[in-house]
Order: sequence, then structure tokens, then C-alpha cells
Amino acid sequence: MKNRLKVLRAERDWSQQHLADLLEVSRQSVNAIETGRYDPSLPLAFKIADVFEMAIEEIFQRD
Amino acid sequence: MSTEAKRGFTRTVPFWAGLAFGTFGAVMGLALSDAINAATALILMIVPAGLFFQTMRVANTTAACSGRGEAQRLYVKRVAIFASTYLVVIALQVSLLGGDETTEASLAARAALSVMPGLAICGIFWAIGRLILDEKDEFIRMLIVRQTLIATGFALGFATIWGFLEAGEVVPHIPAYWFAVAFFGGQFIGAVSNRITHGSWGAL
Repeated sequence: MKNRLKVLRAERDWSQQHLADLLEVSRQSVNAIETGRYDPSLPLAFKIADVFEMAIEEIFQRD
Repeated sequence: MSTEAKRGFTRTVPFWAGLAFGTFGAVMGLALSDAINAATALILMIVPAGLFFQTMRVANTTAACSGRGEAQRLYVKRVAIFASTYLVVIALQVSLLGGDETTEASLAARAALSVMPGLAICGIFWAIGRLILDEKDEFIRMLIVRQTLIATGFALGFATIWGFLEAGEVVPHIPAYWFAVAFFGGQFIGAVSNRITHGSWGAL
């Protein structure tokens, strides 16, 4: 699964740590999702969508 | 923690890992060559275990940069308690039962003293299970489960292969508690695997 997390974070000038704090996860989690090494669960994907105020499909796309 | 300090930690991960594996290999070598007896080997295993613990601690500090979660803090506390208990009861067992020598202690006393080190190690297994239950971060939890599965597979594989080699009289007999040592060695392999595949060492 592809995602636009890194781009969206850069647009907001957020650090990985800041996003991790907003999502209440570790910085490793944000890094793993951004680099495509880990696909988040549906609840975490919804949380990410809420943080960016976007729909899930605007952030995550099929390969 | 300063950026410079973090860089310093990054450089020290291979150092601690090498030291942990080196001492593990040395103790295993001494034990298998009968240079030291089983009780001494078990006590000496605290050294690589401690170094492994330090490797994981440094690796986490380096990789996370996000602070340790409550679940991980509790885990470290529990492991420290059970590892200390292990040290105390193994010393008690060796001093009261006299190591490999036959003593006049009753069967009940020998059973009680002999089961205690095993129970202390079981406490560490329990701490790993509790960490999996307590960890709120799903990615970290996945890494712990993955690491533990690799360690379990490694220990079971080691036990099975060694057992058949032993039956074929290719290798000497070893006490079964060495498979727990293999499990902890497998945790290290699991952590390295996590680092390679997911970019993080995990939390154990």
C-alpha cells in the first residue's frame, strides 16, 4: 500500500516526532508507515486521516 | 539528550551487540568443552544477557528518539527483578547443593532449590507476554511478537536438531535449560531481523 504521509507532513512542516505525538504512537511507527515498511491498522489509519483532516483514500492508495 | 550523544549511541550499537555475541560464544565454548561446569556456565550467562539487554537499550534510545513507553518501562523493571532473583537463587542452589557434587540434601529440598532458577527464568517469559499485552503502540507490539516468534522458532529448532544429533551420538548431551538460553539468543536474531525488515530493533 502506498501513502502520502511524508508529503502531507512536509506540507505542514511537521517533524516525525510531532506527528507521532499527535497520533499517540512512537516515532518508529511514523517512520515505518512513511517508508512503506508497515501498513497501519484501520483504527490508526482513521486517526491519521483525522489528524490531516482528509479521507483515508486521499492518504492511502493501492500499490 | 543532545544530537551528539544520540550519534554516540548509534555508533555503540554494533559494539554492544558484538560484545554480547562474543561473550555468549565464549561461555558456550567453555561449557561445551567442559572447561567450566554447568552451574558456572549458567552464572556466567548473566554477562552476555546483561550485554544483550544493554544493546537493546542503546538501540531503542537511538532508533526511537521518542522516549520509552510505560509498557517498556514496566518490562525493564520486571526483567530486572526476575534476573536479580535468578542470580540469587542460582547462587543459593550452587552453595547449598554444591554444584555437581552429590549431597545429602533430601529430594524435596533438592527439588525446591532446583526449580527456583527455572521459575525465575519463567518470570522473564511472563514479562515478555505482559509486554505484548501492555504495549499500546501497534507497530512496536508487532515487532515484539515477530521477535518472540523468531526466538521461539530458533529455540525449538535448536532443541529438535540437537536432540536428533544427540540420539545419533554426534554431539554431547546438554541439560534442557540450554534451550531457554537459545531462546534468548533467538531474541537477538529477531531484533536484527526487525531492524533489517522494518528499520527498528523492537522493544525487548
